[in-house]
Amino acid sequence: MTKFTFNRRRFMSTTAMTGAALASPVYLRSASAAGGEVNIWTYNDFVPKSFKKQFEAETGIKVNIRLVDDQGKQFNLLAAEAPNPTVDIMTVAGHRFLQFIDNELLAPLDTDRLSNWGNINPTFSESDWATINGHKWGAPILSGMEILAYNTELVSQEEAMTWNTLFSEKYSGQTAYIIQDMMSIVMLMLGYDGNMVAYMDNPDKAAAIVEEAKQFLISKKSLVRKYYDSGAEVQQMFVNQDIALGHSWNGPAAALINDGFPLGMTIPNEGSYGFVYTYNVANNAPNADNAYTFLNAILASPEIGASMTKASGFISTYKDASNYLTDLEKQSTSFPEEQIANLQFFRAEANKMKYGLVDPAVEAVKAA
Amino acid sequence: MSHDDSPRKNHNDIVQYSATRPFWGRLTNWQPYRLLLTFATASPRRQFIILAAFPLLWLLTQHLGPMIQMARVSLLESYPVAQGAPQNFTLDNYIRFFGDHIFWMPFFRTLTFAAVFTFCTLILTYPVAYFLARHVSRHNQMLMLLILLIPFWVGEIVRTYAIMILLGNTGAVNLALKWLGLIERPIPFMYTSFSMGLGIVYLTALYMLLPLYSALEKLPKSYTEVAADLGAGAWTRFRRVTLPLTIEGISSGCTLVFLISTGFYATPVLLGGPSTTVFAETIAGFFHYAGDEWPTGAAFAVIMFAAALFITGLFQKLMKALRRGDTK
Amino acid sequence: MNRSNRIVLACVYWAFVLYVFVPLILMILMGFKDSKFIGFPIRSWTLDWYYSIFSDAEILYTFGYSMLIAILSTLISVIIGTWLALLLEGRKFWGWAVTFGLMVLPALVPGIISAIAFRIYARWLGIEPGMGAIIWAHAVHNVPFVSLVVMARLSTLPKSQTEAARDLGADPLVAFLRITLPYLVPSILGASIFCMLLSFDDFVRSFFLGGYEETLPVLIFAMLRSGMSPEINAIATIALVLTAAIGIWAERFTRRTNKESQL
Repeated sequence: MTKFTFNRRRFMSTTAMTGAALASPVYLRSASAAGGEVNIWTYNDFVPKSFKKQFEAETGIKVNIRLVDDQGKQFNLLAAEAPNPTVDIMTVAGHRFLQFIDNELLAPLDTDRLSNWGNINPTFSESDWATINGHKWGAPILSGMEILAYNTELVSQEEAMTWNTLFSEKYSGQTAYIIQDMMSIVMLMLGYDGNMVAYMDNPDKAAAIVEEAKQFLISKKSLVRKYYDSGAEVQQMFVNQDIALGHSWNGPAAALINDGFPLGMTIPNEGSYGFVYTYNVANNAPNADNAYTFLNAILASPEIGASMTKASGFISTYKDASNYLTDLEKQSTSFPEEQIANLQFFRAEANKMKYGLVDPAVEAVKAA
Repeated sequence: MSHDDSPRKNHNDIVQYSATRPFWGRLTNWQPYRLLLTFATASPRRQFIILAAFPLLWLLTQHLGPMIQMARVSLLESYPVAQGAPQNFTLDNYIRFFGDHIFWMPFFRTLTFAAVFTFCTLILTYPVAYFLARHVSRHNQMLMLLILLIPFWVGEIVRTYAIMILLGNTGAVNLALKWLGLIERPIPFMYTSFSMGLGIVYLTALYMLLPLYSALEKLPKSYTEVAADLGAGAWTRFRRVTLPLTIEGISSGCTLVFLISTGFYATPVLLGGPSTTVFAETIAGFFHYAGDEWPTGAAFAVIMFAAALFITGLFQKLMKALRRGDTK
Repeated sequence: MNRSNRIVLACVYWAFVLYVFVPLILMILMGFKDSKFIGFPIRSWTLDWYYSIFSDAEILYTFGYSMLIAILSTLISVIIGTWLALLLEGRKFWGWAVTFGLMVLPALVPGIISAIAFRIYARWLGIEPGMGAIIWAHAVHNVPFVSLVVMARLSTLPKSQTEAARDLGADPLVAFLRITLPYLVPSILGASIFCMLLSFDDFVRSFFLGGYEETLPVLIFAMLRSGMSPEINAIATIALVLTAAIGIWAERFTRRTNKESQL
């Protein structure tokens, strides 16, 4: 097995192809050459191009990809199409499941139909957030987390080990964060449960906590350069040196590191949250069988996972995917054990209450 | 240009055309065509109905239809309506706006910004349009106007990122200033109302430039020449002749720019700072983060739109009054 | 006095040109940067982004697809917009103001609102998302711009001209085709260019009404998720060169037709 992998890697590097799928027709043996099509909504590069090509050639199933750029838009589109969607597979973040499930937009995932389900690292496939109402709802593909990114020429790693640096006078006007995400982190900083699952029976306490976090962010508003929304924005702010440090998702930060930018990232001591992108089958999907064929195929090899990581900067959920990364890529997609220990996943259970409180708080911070 | 010529010459043109181009003569003499025409022009009323029927149908189904659907959603308790569940109508979505002051701030900020940016755009583009319409030979006007319009053909997002690398701490402006030795530390231009304004004027200039240009172009040169002959100075000529005669262009340009700027989303989000949140962001928030809040988002959109219409209505009234006062 | 005025105004004009062109030049420059992110400093240059675009059939296809949508939607907008202008300009009838209001409505509705309204309405009408739906939404959105421009031009048409034609026995349709329409051509052409660029540049409507083939702005938005790469600048530059070429061709064309009509 090891030898096989070694050869495969040699092959990959000599052909200089990032497309992992090139070399793995094995995954298709069980699939019948059924033809037809499968419709997918996903982010750019989440379905590696060469994989797509090969999948189409081997199965005769045409892969139609509709590129999306955020979770909310997928929900809106799907809501507008329900109950008879055109889509088979969507890309939903694990902690957003509940909203889709409540609106009957997702079908439970029948993992027995996926012989390659075992290729997923159980940290992700068997995690607590993954099972809702006794069902699995998606196949984890990439994992992201809220991290503190810093320009290593301006900020020391020591300073970056605490979220407090983000609010320090020293870096006044040189910081940026996404307020929605920061609300959860601030709750964690203040010693509360940012998922708010602990306060589900105590809405008054929950409201008080959100209020405290809100007041905290308002009091620090004069120190922040920018409340941003997208990964591209924070990357650009780092490149332009408009900021010295900022909260970010690991994907965009990793992309900067891989491009040679002097950037570091940490999971600070107070802890942080992670989330997982999953492929999901739509409720009433028009080509459900093809959707399962596709899912099983894309889970077939760790090389496919690695190529998704190369493109997105997020961490692969596949077992052994990191074997196929360069050293720099490995470095930009891994954290020391002691930092990982501080990480927990976002949870969906309390989302309705949480976002009922957090969304207006975010508006209030912006309006303050 | 032929259209500026006297009607007399055109008389001759027409006579000539009918003689030299047989197609039109044949068409007008073709029996079915004549019948159709007699039917269509039997009475002014029928003529009008034939002219109006299709466009009116289009307006009602295509222009009004989507907005009515939107308004309907703004009155719903929830959307999308779950299968089998009854549709309940409510005013709560509207009441929510008036009940919570955190929404007022971005709302009024948007109206203020829109007014300020409209004014800035007007001040900036009027001389440009004036120069084009009055001081450039007709031959070159279109080309020079086109030169101005070319940059607007780059997508909003790409252009906005270009502004970021222009104004950023290591952006072109700061690099140039540093190179000239004027500054030592970069000036933080980005993420302020300045950077936002710079980006927005980019978006609005086009909508202002075109109406201004067409209004100024219409203005016969002889008017100002006469005024000059009568001894009026440049400023007086401008104030008493040019400005009043182009007020229609100003008014339509400002109306268009104001209404459009209340809806800007991407540019303020990307170029603005923590204290420049606009109402479009608030509205978009209801569509983005919490998908089940469409009705509230729709209601807020209706409120924004109604307010913007109200203000432009007032503005139009004012302009009309000004015009009347001037012609008296 | 007049001369110094002129010089000042010329300076203002060129300053304005500078203002609109500097970001553009930066954008074009960044398309040649050898890095995955735009911005200064530029350490080395490359043509790779252009190579990769021209060897990517999907991106080239997207160009064509966006162009086709722009052209078809513009055709519809021009016909209906001109028709509306003829109905509204210089006529007084009951409900004129309401009709005018309805005419300009799509131009005034903020982008995201209009996109969602179209999406809801399309679903209600049973229109499938895809090319047809995008063309439809772009056409509706652009009608007001055509109408406004054509109305402005129409209002400067001396009444005497059409009246003279009528006196000479031309029926309304012939008078329209022979006198009014040729007079309107420059404004119609100008409006078409404007519509095409609005359509080519539109993201929200294309996104909400699109199917599995993306238009250029939708592709750019999706690419933006993995960072503002010079490749996006390169794509935008190519689009710019294309549209500018069309614009300049159109300008030449109107100039020629103007000259012909002068002869």
